[in-house]
Amino acid sequence: MLRIAAVFLIAFLSTSATDTTDKVIARQGKVSFFSRTSVEAIKAENNQVLSVIDLNEGKIAVSMLMNAFIFEKALMREHFNESYIESDIYPKAVFEGLIIDFDRALQDEQTRMVKGVFTMHGVSKPIEVKVKIVSESDGYVVTGDFETLVKDYDINIPPLLAGNIAKSISIDFRFEYQPYED
Amino acid sequence: MKTKMIFSLALVLLTTVHCSFSQDLLEILESEQQNDPQFTPATFKMTRIAIGHSTEVRGNGILELFVANRFWNTPADRSQSFVADRLSSRIALEYGISDKLTFGVGATTFDGLFDAHLKYRILQRSNEKGLPFTITLFQNMSYNSSPIANQAIADDFSDRSAFTSQVLFSKKVSKDFSLQVSPTYIHKTLGLADNDPEDFFALGIGARYKVGGHVSVVSEYYRTFNPIKSFDTFDTFAIGANWELGDIMLQFMLTNAVNMVEDAFIVQARNNFNFRNPNLNFGFNATYVFHLRNRLKNKN
Repeated sequence: MLRIAAVFLIAFLSTSATDTTDKVIARQGKVSFFSRTSVEAIKAENNQVLSVIDLNEGKIAVSMLMNAFIFEKALMREHFNESYIESDIYPKAVFEGLIIDFDRALQDEQTRMVKGVFTMHGVSKPIEVKVKIVSESDGYVVTGDFETLVKDYDINIPPLLAGNIAKSISIDFRFEYQPYED
Repeated sequence: MKTKMIFSLALVLLTTVHCSFSQDLLEILESEQQNDPQFTPATFKMTRIAIGHSTEVRGNGILELFVANRFWNTPADRSQSFVADRLSSRIALEYGISDKLTFGVGATTFDGLFDAHLKYRILQRSNEKGLPFTITLFQNMSYNSSPIANQAIADDFSDRSAFTSQVLFSKKVSKDFSLQVSPTYIHKTLGLADNDPEDFFALGIGARYKVGGHVSVVSEYYRTFNPIKSFDTFDTFAIGANWELGDIMLQFMLTNAVNMVEDAFIVQARNNFNFRNPNLNFGFNATYVFHLRNRLKNKN
């Protein structure tokens, strides 16, 4: 009977221990995107992107609210939310994936591929992004960029405005992770 | 046998518990995200539904150049006018003093009205608990500059001025459908007979239905409860389409209101809405939005 209790205790301790120390979270991650055409340059920033990494498994998740993107022009934000990304129906964009060969012990900078599924505007697409991971005293800093096609995510651009919005959007991100505790 | 069972049980327990902890990183993010209020975006998008003001206000540092036109024909049998017999234009500038307060001035060619307004959004609907409406206050003053030949009509500054106060309530019923109710109070005296009221009470109802990403169908109706007695007036009605093109926003409408300032078009529509001349007005509004402030630079 004692043995059973001991096994349960060990099981409980080991799981709760991994839970608190093996996740890091970024609460004010920064994601920006750019669209550049000969007619117009559009830039938007979101400084409230959430991301969490499970350090043991190398799993990473990102979640951002679409209406938290700030544009140079206030009206663009309204158009973006109402007419393009339809944030009433699809308020968030999320990413879930795996950092390939992630080494949590490595003190140096490491460049890794992240493979996963990005969901935006109700469309899920597998993506692969190269990221730079820098280990710091209290956490990690992950940065990177990638390009994506507007048409991949069913975003409808009226022909009259086709010249104003690039077909390919470049996306930049920077997340500063700190240990996650409930 | 017993120990084996215990171990396998512990193993199963361990893996399931472990899985339930690591399973959803997204769930963790979900729980982190809950506390921010989400304001309902773009109930009407434009500052006007069709003829009347909507609850929308433009943000700080935004200047709107607003040009409204009404075209109509005279009832004459034969007409040699190009396109339309009559045209009235109202040109206005509207500036967002803060994210909630807008100030605007305008002038109309046909009726010679100069007008200024203040518009303040006191409550924006969000997903948080509270009133399920957006509420905007609107106050306007107009000055009638048209010449009056009749000496008997008192026309000093206060007689020529008219005031409109509105409390606009709007609700985005669904992603595509928005509704607005606009209780209105108007004070005006010029050109009215002694037995006419000077204070008018009216109610407006407006709606927008989005038919595409950038196009919506709109309609508005204003009813005056104590109309002018000395001549016939009718309730104001408008139906139209709004089209957004980035910095340019266009509105097309059919209406029975010739005037474009609230105190005139709400209580003084002389014709009912039908397709005969000169009752039918074709309206065309164009808004160009200038952003005088870069939101990415001055944030925080």
